[in-house]
This record gives sequence, C-alpha cells and structure tokens, in this order.
Amino acid sequence: MAKVTREMVEKAGVNLDQLVELLVKNAAAELTTYYYYTILRVNLIGLEGEGIKEIAETARIEDRNHFEALVPRIYELGGKLPEDMKAFHDSSACPPASLPQDPRDIQAMLRVLVEAERCAVRGYTHLCNLTAGKDHRTYDLSQAILNEEIEHESWFSEFLGEGPSGHFLRRGETSPFVSKFLR
Amino acid sequence: MRRFTKKELAKYNGQGGTATYVAYKGRVYDVSQSFLWQHGKHQVLHTAGKDLTDSLAEAPHGPELLEKFPVVGILEDS
Repeated sequence: MAKVTREMVEKAGVNLDQLVELLVKNAAAELTTYYYYTILRVNLIGLEGEGIKEIAETARIEDRNHFEALVPRIYELGGKLPEDMKAFHDSSACPPASLPQDPRDIQAMLRVLVEAERCAVRGYTHLCNLTAGKDHRTYDLSQAILNEEIEHESWFSEFLGEGPSGHFLRRGETSPFVSKFLR
Repeated sequence: MRRFTKKELAKYNGQGGTATYVAYKGRVYDVSQSFLWQHGKHQVLHTAGKDLTDSLAEAPHGPELLEKFPVVGILEDS
C-alpha cells in the first residue's frame, strides 16, 4: 500500500473504498473476459469466423493486459484481489461474454463481443469521470485502457456492419496505450 | 399495474432474497435477473429499491439498458 498516494487521493475528494471496489470489479471483468474470449476465439471457425479470429485474439490479449495493469494500482491504493476466484468472477463489472447457443452464427458471436466491449467502455468512462483531476495515476491508467476498449468496440461494430471503425488491426505490439503500465 | 410508494419500493432492495426493483421516470423495473444488479448493488455506487431517475442522468449509459427489463409497476410519488 502506498500511504501518501492514498492520502492524496482521499484529500482530492475521492471515496477510496468505492474506487478500489470499482477497480477490483473492472479487473474481474478483464480477467473473465480474457477467459470467455478464449472460448469465443476457438469457436470462430469457418470462412466467416476465421476472418474475425485475429481481432478477437488481439482483444483477448489486451484484456488480459488490462487486468495485469490494474492489479498494481489496486494494491497501491490499499485494496486486494479476492482470494476466492468464484467470488472474483461474480463481482465482475460486466456480464460473462458467454458463447452464444449457435457458435456458427457469426452475428451472434459479434454481438457478444461488441456488448462486452461496450460494457468496458462504459466502465472506464465512469472511472475516468470519477478520477479526473483528482487521482492522476488511476485516471491515466483508466484512460489508457479506455482508448483500447474503444478501439475493440469499433472493430467489432464494423464487422456487425454498423459503420466504418476508422481503424485497422494492430500492427506489431499489442496494447499501444496500456503497455507503459506493463513495463 | 401495481402502484408503489417510495417506502414500498425500498423493500425490494435485492437483499435477503427479495426481488431487485429500481424506478426510473415513474416506472418500476424488475432487474432481479441482471448480472449487474447482484445483491441489490450496481457498480458499487447504486442500490436497489430506489428511484434512480437522477442517477441515470449521470451514468455512462442511457435508459435503454434499463428498459430491457420488465416493468412491474408505477412509482406513485415520483
């Protein structure tokens, strides 16, 4: 725990207990999404499925990176991860990104993916709003994650035919925004 | 349709096995089946059994996420 860090954040008017709980819930969302995306990815088969697989894999790895990046901040602020993995899963800030009944239905697969990303975009927007100008480090981290979640949403949205994303798939390294927290 | 006072609505706070109801713009929604309303709490900051009309205005989502759930009544004194 970083004592002065906690003091500074509290002094700025942030409810630390609420903030830590939200960070834990979002960390749970990232790790569980990483898990559920593993199942989605292996089921993205056939001509249509294979076309989405690479982007689903990038989103999966980046969600795991988000989990890794959030954990140190939780402990710096005096929080901790639950010891019970099931409790951690059930506390997730987002619902499980479960495999649709018919995994060959690519539209259904994409809807699961895009809804998971939209939940994340809402969650990190909320965290940014709570910490802006008050908790600079959590804000910086949440904003970095938000940047990647927005790109994930736009990729899957484009595949659903909702409009152009304006992005292309990653070239080279994953997590261009969050990688600075992983070094 | 059933009419709720704020006091009656407060009983449906999702605690101790009760149903999880929240109100928005005079309508009472049953969110008991929502993963995001487990134990009557939503994203740490919100609790069930209340009128969330003002809170939703500040939320990072609109009413469309609430409107997916069944309406079980009308909030009388909203």
